[in-house]
Amino acid sequence: MILRIWTLASNTVREAIRSKLLYTLLGFAIALILLAIALSQLSYIDNDRILQNFGFASIRLFSVAIAIFVGVNLIHKEVDRRTVYTILSKPLSRSEFLLGKYFGLLITIWLQLGIMVAFFVGTSVVTGASLGLSDAAVIALLCVELALVVAIATLFSAFTTPMLASFFSVGIWIVGNLTRDLKLMGAKASDTSIEWVTTWLHRVLPDMASFDLTIEAAHGLPISASDLAIPMVYGVGYIVILLMISMAIFERRDFR
Amino acid sequence: MTTSNDIVLVEDIVKDFRPGFGLRRKRVLHGISFRVREREIFGFVGPNGAGKTTTLKVLMGLIHATSGRTSILGNAVNETAFRRQIGYLPENPYFYDYLTGREILDFYAKLSGVERNLRASRVDELLGLVGLSQAADARLRTYSKGMLQRVGIAQALVHDPQVVFLDEPMSGLDPIGRKDVRDLILRLRTQGKTVFMNTHILSDVEMVCDRVAIIAAGRIRYEGAIDEFLVAGEPEADLVLAGLPAETAVELEERFGAKLRGHGEQIELRVAEKDASPAMRLALNAGARVVSSIPHRVSLESIFMTAVNESQDEEAAS
Repeated sequence: MILRIWTLASNTVREAIRSKLLYTLLGFAIALILLAIALSQLSYIDNDRILQNFGFASIRLFSVAIAIFVGVNLIHKEVDRRTVYTILSKPLSRSEFLLGKYFGLLITIWLQLGIMVAFFVGTSVVTGASLGLSDAAVIALLCVELALVVAIATLFSAFTTPMLASFFSVGIWIVGNLTRDLKLMGAKASDTSIEWVTTWLHRVLPDMASFDLTIEAAHGLPISASDLAIPMVYGVGYIVILLMISMAIFERRDFR
Repeated sequence: MTTSNDIVLVEDIVKDFRPGFGLRRKRVLHGISFRVREREIFGFVGPNGAGKTTTLKVLMGLIHATSGRTSILGNAVNETAFRRQIGYLPENPYFYDYLTGREILDFYAKLSGVERNLRASRVDELLGLVGLSQAADARLRTYSKGMLQRVGIAQALVHDPQVVFLDEPMSGLDPIGRKDVRDLILRLRTQGKTVFMNTHILSDVEMVCDRVAIIAAGRIRYEGAIDEFLVAGEPEADLVLAGLPAETAVELEERFGAKLRGHGEQIELRVAEKDASPAMRLALNAGARVVSSIPHRVSLESIFMTAVNESQDEEAAS
């Protein structure tokens, strides 16, 4: 089973490596990091913080964008182009196929993240900006966040069109970043039904803000082990649930 | 009843699709049943839209049947492990075009569980078998439709399966390619394999298949050995007569059950072969002239056309 999943995953990575689109997106991300350097040089206060804020924001935004826009096509493209027909006639289950595609895209996204981070670290070293363990914590949680975003995109890709899947995935990511604030606003509202809605939004939708330690890292605030471990466990749990739902949906599909 | 040498068993399969988001369902398979025996080449024949590909997709587990039972080599089609024993060529196959011919076959061999030490030689063997050795290291995006069809056949055979399912295997091939594939299918039978072939090209079926099922409008119309089809029914003859008086034409219809069709001044009629001589005598005595008399061979095509016409008549009646 693992060999079959790995065969599909490694082929998905190979597809990405041979695709021009991802190199273009990666180029944009690196250009944005360069812009961060330029902006930090223009500022007369706290150059390091501007570089980190802007650099991390660029990396996160582009990584999420790549994860969503490649992820929503992940399964749909296989069905649309009918490559899935020959693959599923081989001795592997639909769930193995879906997991293979998921892990393949995840490895691709992490590789891209690795390139962006390497570039970011390189520019930080050249410009003399300080880097520490807190920066590593930011990247570690970004890895989990990206795994979750790929799982969301995979879920929608398993049953709907790329257009709708993009719409839903982007929507969930944006609202997922706001649910903490919405919950706080709901708690202050006089209408209890609003509080109920915002509380449940926070419970049901992925709490994306829990993976973002950029502010703590940029301001040199202490990051505890639990700040890292709790979001990791939460993220992995959420991913497992999403993948199980995706597999259940995909198992029932008819490929007409 | 299942017999021990039934490789593929399809029993009373019904498939309904929902055309849109509504509750309305469209039935595309109306309780079809047939079986494929060991070491035979089975032709599944029907016009476009008859339900051939849907049936094959049900067998491959790509579509779930609404009701009924299907098994391959005694396994339910939703199981996966037995697929090590089957190969499948879909209609108009599409592959990852960023891979080369060699890479795609290696990919399928890995998925099929071909052992690592055998993979490279097996891939080379298959590339040679389908005539793609020269193009083995070119990306699939540079392949022609016929070459992709050959890749499709190669991936279906790369793990040396016991049963091979081919959906329109001659599609996109030139005459040489078609002959190569026909020869390959016949060679598979000599190797002891069972072949299930979806097609609407009847000449291919007559040349390679042992048994055939004809499907039209989602219903099986005939199933049996090719030889049975070709000798089935009473031999007939086609007569073409000129200057036939109207009253004699009526008499021919009444006495011999002749089916008449007019072609200007000539009339074409089909009668039982044993009635050809008396019918011609009657016509000649009435002053008509016999233009031609040709024995009518019952072919798969005529059976196919009868099946299609029957299904159209039934649809019109309902």
